[in-house]
Amino acid sequence: MLLTVASTSLRELARRRVALLFVFLLPCVFYWARIDVSWQAVRFLAIGVGWAVATLSLFSHVGARRLDQRLSVIGASPTALFFGRQLALLGIGVIMAGVYFVLVAATQDGLARLPAVFLLLLTTVLISAPLGALVSLVITRELEGALALLSIMALQLLVDPDGSAAKLLPLWSTRELSAYAIQTPAADSLPSGLFHFALTLTLCVAIAWFASALRLRPVSLSPIRPDTPH
Amino acid sequence: MTPEEEWGTQLLKHLTSTGIALAEARELAGDALAEAAAAGIDPRAMYGPAVAYASTVAQAVRSATATAAPLSRTRGPVVLRLHGVSKRYRRRRVLKNVHLSLRAGEVAAIVGANGSGKSTLLNICAGLTRATSGVVERTARVGYAPQQDGVAPLLTPEEHFRLFGAVHRMGRKKAAAIGTGLASRLGWRPREGVVVAHLSGGTQQKLNVVLSELNRPELILLDEPYQGFDQGSYVDFWDQVFRWRDGGAGILVVTHMLHDLDRVDHVLELQPVEEP
Amino acid sequence: MRQQWLHGFLDVCLLSLLAERRDYGRGLAERLVEAGFDEVPGGTLYPALLRLEKQGLVRTEKEASTSGPPRKYYELTELGRTGVRERRHAWEHFKTAMDAVVVSPLDAEEVGT
Repeated sequence: MLLTVASTSLRELARRRVALLFVFLLPCVFYWARIDVSWQAVRFLAIGVGWAVATLSLFSHVGARRLDQRLSVIGASPTALFFGRQLALLGIGVIMAGVYFVLVAATQDGLARLPAVFLLLLTTVLISAPLGALVSLVITRELEGALALLSIMALQLLVDPDGSAAKLLPLWSTRELSAYAIQTPAADSLPSGLFHFALTLTLCVAIAWFASALRLRPVSLSPIRPDTPH
Repeated sequence: MTPEEEWGTQLLKHLTSTGIALAEARELAGDALAEAAAAGIDPRAMYGPAVAYASTVAQAVRSATATAAPLSRTRGPVVLRLHGVSKRYRRRRVLKNVHLSLRAGEVAAIVGANGSGKSTLLNICAGLTRATSGVVERTARVGYAPQQDGVAPLLTPEEHFRLFGAVHRMGRKKAAAIGTGLASRLGWRPREGVVVAHLSGGTQQKLNVVLSELNRPELILLDEPYQGFDQGSYVDFWDQVFRWRDGGAGILVVTHMLHDLDRVDHVLELQPVEEP
Repeated sequence: MRQQWLHGFLDVCLLSLLAERRDYGRGLAERLVEAGFDEVPGGTLYPALLRLEKQGLVRTEKEASTSGPPRKYYELTELGRTGVRERRHAWEHFKTAMDAVVVSPLDAEEVGT
């Protein structure tokens, strides 16, 4: 079931050609805007990837809600439906991370730790997919949800990274990992970044999974009792 | 190609697209042309437009198979029982004290004006909405076709069969074979690679109906598809409802057509609940 | 209006005509016209015959004709013969009921004036 949901929703996503085009284009625009300042370019790129994947995830989950409801009425497991769609999104996200890693490798020299760029793109994708799902469960409409995600990502770029409030944002780890990728004397940002990533990922997945299961799980109806004699 | 042959080709094409097997469609089209030739009349004048004639012929073929072996009706065990079901949204009362006992092999129709809670009742039976009070007993093997958004616009019918089949642990091929077979009974043959968004409204409804019965459910819950359904599809739909019934399923259908209700076993008329 | 009525009774008419003798499609249409009905369009006649065939009430046979291509002849099956009898009964009932409702009030009016 899980794999069937994943493969059908992958096809569904692949057929939204224009949306996909923009999803790929957006991080690119972010990146070129800051290409001169390499540490900013990488950060902007990652946030762009995060926003694109989260938005795609939001649309995918909002769009599938009625169908998923129907499937769960006839006995589909809400868990399989949730993780199936997430798997498809991760598939697209990982491709994006790969493409942009190649782009960064080709256009930036002088990065201290190039492989770390792939790591930070990957962690961004891994958080953004369930983040989009989570927002889709709170804000059930596409436009409003997309705006909410936009606010989160804008905050992410604007908030003073050293303030304690910044750590509450979902992609704080992306910043830490980009610091690790760029700074020549290795900063101690790798462990703190990875720890924040693991925590955020667990929270996002757990809450989104729990909430979607709660929403999709049909009301339990009692089985038929044998006829009472009249 | 002569106009007669052109008409024959069109007829053959339309016949196969309604789900008639190629060999039979060839024979039917050949007969029609031969008959017209023997009478010395242009088939277009004799039978009318090919598309219209194909639809009448296809209906004749299907209606016959529907009534060929009228099964002796057997009523099975209860598959759905509603006891004093009521529903309130905050202070607004939608359903009041609904009772129903539906057995396998029976059809129940829910009728009522707009806003009388027909869809709410169907959702309660599906398990999508919780009743405020009362008891709902239901078999677990259920099929369900909602009125709207029951299909994904960007998936093909075949992918729908796969997805819904997977819920019942059917393999891909089996699900596709069963889905295509069920579709042909509604006079529709899914073409490969065409996504649902590109199908006509009536065809989307047919897919909706087919998906509800992929697992041979004991109880089928339906919102009668009427948007985009022409008269022929509508007749086919009800033929299908009675075929399910004769096959031993219980059917609960929200209906908007108020004639022909003497053919169903239970009519549940919902009234818009008056506030005191 | 007459056309619509015939539509509802076309099956009975066709079965009754075939009970008299086997025939081909055009032949049946002509006999209906002779009886006083309007011409039945092919788009109605042939699907009706097909339905009867599918229900097992008639069987078909292709026969070479002296002029032109072979013709498809229709004749009643055993099931069809029983079907005709049942339908005739039903029709008698229906006719009596119709007469009682439609004809007698008219008669009464004529007598009265």
